[in-house]
Amino acid sequence: MKIEIEIKNLNFYYAGKYHALKNINLQIYKNKVTALIGPSGCGKTTLLRCINRIHDLYPGNRYEGEIIFQGKNILSKDIDLIELRSKIGMVFQKPTPFPMSIFDNVAYGLRLKGIKNKKELQERVEKALKEAALWDEVKDKLNQSALGLSGGQQQRLCIARAIAVEPEVLLFDEPTSALDPISTGKIEDLIVQLKSKITIVIVTHNMQQAARISDFTAFMYLGEIIEFGPTEKIFTNPEKKLTEDYITGRFG
Amino acid sequence: MIRRRKIINNLALFFCFLTALWGLFWLVFILFDVIRHGITALTPSLILNDPTPPGVPGGGLKHAIIGHILITLTATLIGVPIGILGGTFLAEYGRNYRISKIISFIADIMVSIPAIIVGAFVYAILVKPVGHFSGLAGGISLAIIMIPVIVRTTEGMLSLVPWTLREAAFALGAPYYKVIFQVVYRSAGVGIFTGVILAVARVTGEAAPLLFTSFNNSYTTYNIFQPMASLTVTIFQYAMGPYEDWHKQAWGASFLITLFILFLAIVGRYLVKRRFKI
Repeated sequence: MKIEIEIKNLNFYYAGKYHALKNINLQIYKNKVTALIGPSGCGKTTLLRCINRIHDLYPGNRYEGEIIFQGKNILSKDIDLIELRSKIGMVFQKPTPFPMSIFDNVAYGLRLKGIKNKKELQERVEKALKEAALWDEVKDKLNQSALGLSGGQQQRLCIARAIAVEPEVLLFDEPTSALDPISTGKIEDLIVQLKSKITIVIVTHNMQQAARISDFTAFMYLGEIIEFGPTEKIFTNPEKKLTEDYITGRFG
Repeated sequence: MIRRRKIINNLALFFCFLTALWGLFWLVFILFDVIRHGITALTPSLILNDPTPPGVPGGGLKHAIIGHILITLTATLIGVPIGILGGTFLAEYGRNYRISKIISFIADIMVSIPAIIVGAFVYAILVKPVGHFSGLAGGISLAIIMIPVIVRTTEGMLSLVPWTLREAAFALGAPYYKVIFQVVYRSAGVGIFTGVILAVARVTGEAAPLLFTSFNNSYTTYNIFQPMASLTVTIFQYAMGPYEDWHKQAWGASFLITLFILFLAIVGRYLVKRRFKI
C-alpha cells in the first residue's frame, strides 16, 4: 500500500492560541478511504482542514510539523495554495452550490485550470456528473440554476464539481450530516466507487458510516489521535479502552 | 393572567396598526397630491421644450430633465464603482484590519450627514477654485452622498454570504479575486443592486447640494463642465417664483421625479427576478 499523505508531528493553533491539534501522526493510504471519528470538538474537522490549508483563510492560525504530499511539505511557506487545492479537493458539510447553472458549477474548477475549449468542457462536465451519479437527473436541465436542486442532488453536484478537476485526494467534511437516508446512501456508494481513482479522507459523526465505507479509521479525542488502524480492527478489536468506549457508545 | 396578556397583545397590535396607518396616510396623501397636480402638467411640451419666458405658453423642462439625467449619471458612474469596491474591501480583503472598522464607522456617520454640507464642501474644492458652477461638481457631490450608502450596503450584503461558499471556491483552487467576482458577487448581487438603486433613488431627489454645485441654467446644455439645470433645483426655483406657469411646471417636475424613482424600483425588481431565473 502506497502512502499518499504522511502527517508528522502536526500541531495546530487557532488564532487566540487555542491548541487544537496535538502531535498528530497519521498515514493516509492511496486509493483508500480513511475515516476520522471522535466526539464533537475533538479536532477531526480541524485536521481535515489542515490538509488543503483552508485554515489559511483566517488570520492568526498557525501550523507546526509536516504534512508530506507528493514529496513536499505542504505546510511550508513556498507552497502554491492554488495548485495544492486543485490537487486536494474538498466537499463540505452543507452543500455549497454556487449561484450559477448546474453546468457552470461543474465547469468552475475546469475553467479555473484554464480549460476554455467548449467541447472538452462539455465532455468533462458530463463525465464528472456521471461519476457523481447525477447525470441522469440533471442532463436535461444543465442550464438551470443549481440552487433549484434538492439537498442530496446539490451535495452530489458539489462532489461532481470537486472530481471534475481530477484531484488526487478528496476531503469530505461530514458530507451527509444534512441529508436524508436515501441521499446519504447514494453518497456513500459514490465514495466507495471513487476510491479506485481518488484517495479519500472523510470526517463523520456517524460511526456506522465510518464502518460501512472506510478502510482505515482514526479515532480522535481532545485534539489527539488515540488510535489508528484498519477499520475492521478499530471497530471489532480496538487496543485502547477509550476507543472501545466510544465505539460502543459509552461516551461521545 | 392569560386574559391580561391577551388584552396587552391586542393593545400592542392596535398601536402598531395605528402608527402604520399614520405613516401610510401621509405617504398616500403626498403621492396623491403630486399625482393630482402633476398629471395635468405632464404634457409632451413639458418634456420636449426648452423653457420660455413667463407668460409665453409651451415652455418645458427639457433643460432640467437632461441636466438631471446627466448629473445623476455622473454621480452613478463615480459613486457606484467606488462604493462597491470600497464595500468589498471592508467585507473581504480588509475584514481583519482595524482600519476597516474605523472606515465602516465613518461611512455610517457619512450616511446621515446633511446633504447641504456635502454641497458646501464640493463648492469649496471644485466650484470656487474653478471659478464657476458645473454639472460635474453636482455629480460629484451626489456621488459623495451615494458612496457611504453603497459602501455600507455592499459590506452588509457581502458579509451575509456564508463563508462556506467562499471556502468551496477556494477549495477548488480559485484565487481570492475570482472567488469575489465570480461567486460572492453573484450571491450578493441582488442585495448590492438594491443598495445601488436605493442610493440612486436617494440622490435623485436632492436639491440642496446641487444649489451649491451645478446651480442652474436656463438653457439646455450637454456639457458637464458648465452650470446645469436639474429638476430638483428647478422645482425649488419655480415653486418659489411668482408665476402660475412655473408652479404648474414645478408640480410636473415633482411628478416626473416620483415617476423616475418608481421606474428605478420596478427596473431593479425586474432585473433581480430575471437574473435569478437562470
